[in-house]
Amino acid sequence: MARRDIGKSIDWMTFSIYLGLIAVGWMMIFTVGYGKGYPTSFSGFMGTTVGKQTIWIVVSLVIFQLIQFIEWKVWRTFASLIYLISMLGLILVIPFGATIKGATSWYQFGGFSIQPSEFAKFGTCIAVAGYLSTYGVTMRDLKSQIASIGIFAVPMGLILLQPDAGSALVFFGFFILLFRAGFPVNFFIVSLIGATLLTLGLVNPPEQIMLWLFILALLILVLNLKNKLWLLGILALAGGSYYFIKQGLTNIAIMTNLSIFILFGGYQWYQKQQRTVSLLLFGLIASGILVFASNFAFNQLDGHQQERIKVWLKPEECDPQGAAYNLVQSKMAIGSGGWTGKGFTKGNLTQGNFVPEQVTDFIFSTAGEEQGFVGSFAIIALFWLLLMRIIFIAERQRNEFSKYYAYGVAGILFIHVLINIGMTMGLMPIIGIPLPFISKGGSSLLGFTLLLSVLLKLDSQRYSS
Amino acid sequence: MNIKNEVLVRVYIVLFFMCLIAMLIFGRAIQISVFEGEKWRSQGNEEHRRYRNVEAERGNILTENGDLLATSLPFFDLAFDPLSTGMTNDDWKFNIDSLSYCLAAFVNPDYTPGGWKFKLEQARLDSNRYIQLKRNATLAEKEFIASFPLFKLGGYRGGLIVRQHYERETPFGMLADRTIGYVRPLEGDTTYIGLEGHFNDVLAGEAGRELMYRVGSKHWMPVHNLTKIEPKPGRDIVTTIDINIQDIAENALLEAMQKHQAKRGSAIVMDVETGAIRAIANIGQRRNGKYWEIYNDAIGTATEPGSTYKLAAIMALLEDGLIELEDSIDLEGGVSQFYEEELVDAVAHGLDTTTVWRAFEVSSNVGIAKLVHENYGLTGQGDKFIKKLKQFHLNFKTGIEIDGEPKPYVKEAYSEEDDWSGTTLPWMSIGYEVTVTPLQLLTFYNAVANDGKMMKPQLVKEVQQYGETVEKFPAVQIKGRIASKNTIAKAKRLLEGVVENGTARKYKSDRYRFAGKTGTAQKDYKKLGDIVSVGGYQASFAGYFPAEKPKYSCIVVISEPQVGGYYGGSVALPIFKKIADKTFATDVDLFKALNGAQKPILARNQLPDYDVGHRQDVQTVLSYLKIPFETRTSNEWSVIRATEADSLKLLKRTISEEKVPNVVGMGIRDALYILENLGLNVEIQGYGRVKQQSIRPGTRVHGQTIRIRMG
Repeated sequence: MARRDIGKSIDWMTFSIYLGLIAVGWMMIFTVGYGKGYPTSFSGFMGTTVGKQTIWIVVSLVIFQLIQFIEWKVWRTFASLIYLISMLGLILVIPFGATIKGATSWYQFGGFSIQPSEFAKFGTCIAVAGYLSTYGVTMRDLKSQIASIGIFAVPMGLILLQPDAGSALVFFGFFILLFRAGFPVNFFIVSLIGATLLTLGLVNPPEQIMLWLFILALLILVLNLKNKLWLLGILALAGGSYYFIKQGLTNIAIMTNLSIFILFGGYQWYQKQQRTVSLLLFGLIASGILVFASNFAFNQLDGHQQERIKVWLKPEECDPQGAAYNLVQSKMAIGSGGWTGKGFTKGNLTQGNFVPEQVTDFIFSTAGEEQGFVGSFAIIALFWLLLMRIIFIAERQRNEFSKYYAYGVAGILFIHVLINIGMTMGLMPIIGIPLPFISKGGSSLLGFTLLLSVLLKLDSQRYSS
Repeated sequence: MNIKNEVLVRVYIVLFFMCLIAMLIFGRAIQISVFEGEKWRSQGNEEHRRYRNVEAERGNILTENGDLLATSLPFFDLAFDPLSTGMTNDDWKFNIDSLSYCLAAFVNPDYTPGGWKFKLEQARLDSNRYIQLKRNATLAEKEFIASFPLFKLGGYRGGLIVRQHYERETPFGMLADRTIGYVRPLEGDTTYIGLEGHFNDVLAGEAGRELMYRVGSKHWMPVHNLTKIEPKPGRDIVTTIDINIQDIAENALLEAMQKHQAKRGSAIVMDVETGAIRAIANIGQRRNGKYWEIYNDAIGTATEPGSTYKLAAIMALLEDGLIELEDSIDLEGGVSQFYEEELVDAVAHGLDTTTVWRAFEVSSNVGIAKLVHENYGLTGQGDKFIKKLKQFHLNFKTGIEIDGEPKPYVKEAYSEEDDWSGTTLPWMSIGYEVTVTPLQLLTFYNAVANDGKMMKPQLVKEVQQYGETVEKFPAVQIKGRIASKNTIAKAKRLLEGVVENGTARKYKSDRYRFAGKTGTAQKDYKKLGDIVSVGGYQASFAGYFPAEKPKYSCIVVISEPQVGGYYGGSVALPIFKKIADKTFATDVDLFKALNGAQKPILARNQLPDYDVGHRQDVQTVLSYLKIPFETRTSNEWSVIRATEADSLKLLKRTISEEKVPNVVGMGIRDALYILENLGLNVEIQGYGRVKQQSIRPGTRVHGQTIRIRMG
C-alpha cells in the first residue's frame, strides 16, 4: 500500500484525548497556583509552576510532532540500543543524580531536572515488545517467559536502588502485555491469589485468615459430594466460627475447624479423592506460609511504614492529623466538591494548599473539589476511552511489535491511572506516582508523550511492511 | 480452544478487567463526592475554620502593700504570612529587601539578609502562609518587630501574625510559693493549689473568642473581624502577706531546716488584732536533698501537736475553776504511771513537789497529765474537758482561703468509736490523741494574745480591678471571747513564764519580751512489748510578741529534724526568735519613733528668712508652696521672717520715694526696679539676693551710683 500522508493516518481520536488530558492538567495546575496570585509580567508568569508546565507542554507537542517524522522501523531496529541507553540512564543517576526527598532519581541541568525512570518506561516497553516479536520467542517456553519478565525486572531493580518504589511498581503494568502475549493463565491466577493472601496477611490476624481458608477447603470438598445438605453444615460451621471469633475464642474455632478438616479430608482420601485432598492440603500449607510470612514481615517494618499500609487497608484506625492526613485531606477535597464542584479557582482546600503534593500526586483531588463529580467523571472517562482506544489500536496492528508495544503502553498507563486515582480516594495505598498527562512535571509528560507519539506513528504505518 | 479463540478471550479479559477497575473508581468517586459529600464538606469547613478561645490576662496576686507576688507577663509568638490578603505585589516588592535585612539583623542571624529573602520568596511561591519568626517575644521585642518594613503597614497588609500568651511569674521566687500556689490544667483534671487555686474564678477572668482559619496543616491565623470577643482580664487579689516578714520567716526557716536537716517545716506569722497572716512559709526537703516550698503543711497537715497543746489543757482547768496556778503538785521526779502506761517528762527537771505554774514552765508531762487525770478523768468528767476544748474552738477548721484544710481531731468523750480509754485524757492534755494543724493551733494562741478574741486567719484582704478595690474582706471575728478574762490573763502569765523561767528562757531577750510555749512531739510512737520505736520528732514553738502588747503571733513547726537536737526549745524556738527579732527591728509600729519628740528647730536654715519682696508676689508663692504664713503688714513691700519652727511672718518693709531704701534681701529684679526708679545708677556684682548696698539707707537721692553686691 502506498505510503500515506501523516496527517491523514494519525489516529485523531487518541490525539484529541491526549490534548484534552494535557489541557485538563494545565488548568488544574493553574488553579492551584491561583490562590497566591500570578505575576502580571510574562517572564514572571513563566517562572511559576504553571508557567514551567506550559513550557513543557510546548516542548512535548514539538517532540510529538518530530517523532511523526522519524522512520517507524527505527524503533524496532534499535530496540536493544534504546533499552541499553535507558538502563544506563538509570545506572548513572545513582552516582551522579540529585537527591530530592530521599530518592536519587533526578539529573539536574541548570534550572530543570530530568527523571530517567520516566524514560525507562518507554525504553523497556520498546524492548519487551521487540523481544516478544522476535522469531522463535513463545510464551509457552519457560526460557522466554523468564527472559521477558527479566527485561522489565532489570529497570525495576535499578529504580528500587534509588529508591523509588512507586516508579518501580508501575513496571508490573507489563504483565498485561505478557497476558495478551499468551503467558500461562495459571501464573496469573496463582499470583492473584498469592497477592490477595499477602495483602490480607498484612493487617489481619493470620490465624483468622487460616480459619476461613479451612472452611473454604471444606466447602470445596463438600461441593464434590452428592448430598447438597452438607452445604448447610458448612454454613453452620462458618456462622459458629464467626461467633467464636467475636467472643475472642479464635483458637477454639481454629482447632475445631482443623479437626473437622482432618477427619473429613481423611475420609475423602479414603473415598479415593486423593488428588483433591492433596491439592487442598498443599494450597493450605502454601497459603499458611504466605499469610504468616506477610504478617511477620509487616511486624518487622518501621512504625511509619506500617502506618502507610494501615492508611490503605484500615484507614479508620489512623490518626487523621497524622498518618492519614493526606488521604483525609484528599477525600475532603473530592467530597466537598459534590456533584458539580465549587467552580474553577474557587476551591478553598485547593487554594489553601491543604492537600499536599496537589499539583503532582494528588492533582485528581483538585479536580474533584473544583469540578465536582462531573469533573472527576470526565477525567476517569477520558482515561478509560484512551485505554479502550489503545487496545483497539493494538488489535488492528498487523505486526506483532506494534501490537505488543501498544499493549505495553496500555499497561503502563492503566497502572498509573489505577494507582494514582485510586490512592486519592483510599482505594490504593499512597504511592507517589504521577497521573499521566495531568500531573505537573516535565519528565513524566515527556515520557508519556514519547510512549503515545511512537504508538501513533507505528499505528499510522500499520499498512506498511 | 484454538489459538485464535484463546487470543480473543484474553483480549476480552483485559478489556473486562479495565472496565471493572474503571467502574470501581467511578463508583468510589460517586460515593465520596455525592453520598458522603455532605460529611466531607462539613468536615472541610470545620477543619479550616474554628473559634478559638483568647486567653484572658490573669490577675495579679499582691502583697499587703501592693508588691507583686504572682503576675502574668505577656509573650508573643510572631509569624509572617507572605500571602496576607491585603498585601499588594508592590508592598512586597518595595519592602522585601529591607524586611529581610531587618530579620537577619535583629531577629534571626542564622540567615543572611539574602537567605531571609530567599526563604520568604520561596514561602510565597509555595503558599506557605505561616513562617515562624520568633517565639516568646517580649512586648518590647514584639513592638520592635512590628515596626519593621512591610509589617508596619499593619493588619492584613503587613502580614505579621501575632499570637499572645501569658506566662505566670512569681518575682519573689520561693517566698510563700506554695501558698501562692498554681493552677495546672491537665487533660480533664486541673490541679488547683493555694491562692491561685482558691481564687481562680476571680483571677482567671473570662476568655474571649475569635475566629481562626487554617493556613497550613498545623497553623491557624486569626480573622480580624467584628466577631471577635475581647477577653476580660482577671481581677487582682491583695493578700495580707507582708513581704518583709515573709522574707524574714522564710529565710529563718530555711536556715534552720538546713542546719537540722529536717524533713518539713512551717512558720506562720499572724497579726494579733486582725488575724491577717503576714507570713506563711512551708519548706520541705526534696529527694535530692534541696529545700523548697513543697507542701502547705501550715494549713494542710494536722499532726499531734505535743506540749504546745498543754496551754489548752491548763486553760480548761482554770476555766472550770479546778486549779489555781499556785496549787502544789507532785511531779514524781518526772516519771508517773497511768494504768499500764508510763509517762516520762521530756526534759529531766528533778522536781518533785512544785506549783502548777512551775510544772507548766518546765513543760512537765506528768504534771499536766496528772492534773487533767485527777480533775476530769477520775471524776468521770471527761466530757467537761472536751467541752472546754470545743469552747476554745480547737475542733473546727479555721476556714482559711486555701483548699485542703483538714478538720482537727478531738475525741468525743467516752466514745468507743474514737477508742476512748483511761489514758486518753492525760494523753490529750499533753497533745497526743488529738491532731491540729499549725494554723489552727496558732489561731488559738492568737486568741489568747488578743485577750480572748478569736480572729479568723485571713490571707486575702481585697479584690481589685485596675487598681480599684471591688471587694473587701474585713477581719472576721470567730468568737468574741474564748475564755474568761481571768483565765486569759493567767494563760498569758504562764506563757510569759515559759520564756522568763522555763523551757524558753535561754532565748530571753532584753530588748523586748515575748511569750510562748515549746513543744516536742514524738511521731509514729509504737510500743510492742518492751520495744519502743519513735518515728521521729516534731519540734514546735507557738507564741506572740511583744508580750505586753502583742502585735504578732507566730508558730514554728519543724518535723523530723535529723541533726542538732529535736526539742522545741532548741529547734523551733530559735526560728521564732529570729523572726521576732527581725520583725521587731524592721516594724516601725513596734518602736517609739525617734522623731516622735518635738522637731528640732532647723527650719530656719531651710525657710526663707529676711528675704524681701513684693508682698503680693510673696503671698502667691508661699500659698502655692503651701507654706503657712501670717501677714502682719499691708505695705506694698514686705520682709519674710521665719521665727517659728515652720511658719512665716510677713513684716513691713518701708520703701521711701525720696531716700535711698534698704534693698538688702531683695532679688535683683525688685532691687533694680526700685533703685532705678529713684534715678540711681546701679552697678551689680555677683548673683543671688542683695547682700550689701554701697549707699546707706536713708541717704538722700541725687543721681548717685549705687553698687549692690549679691550673694
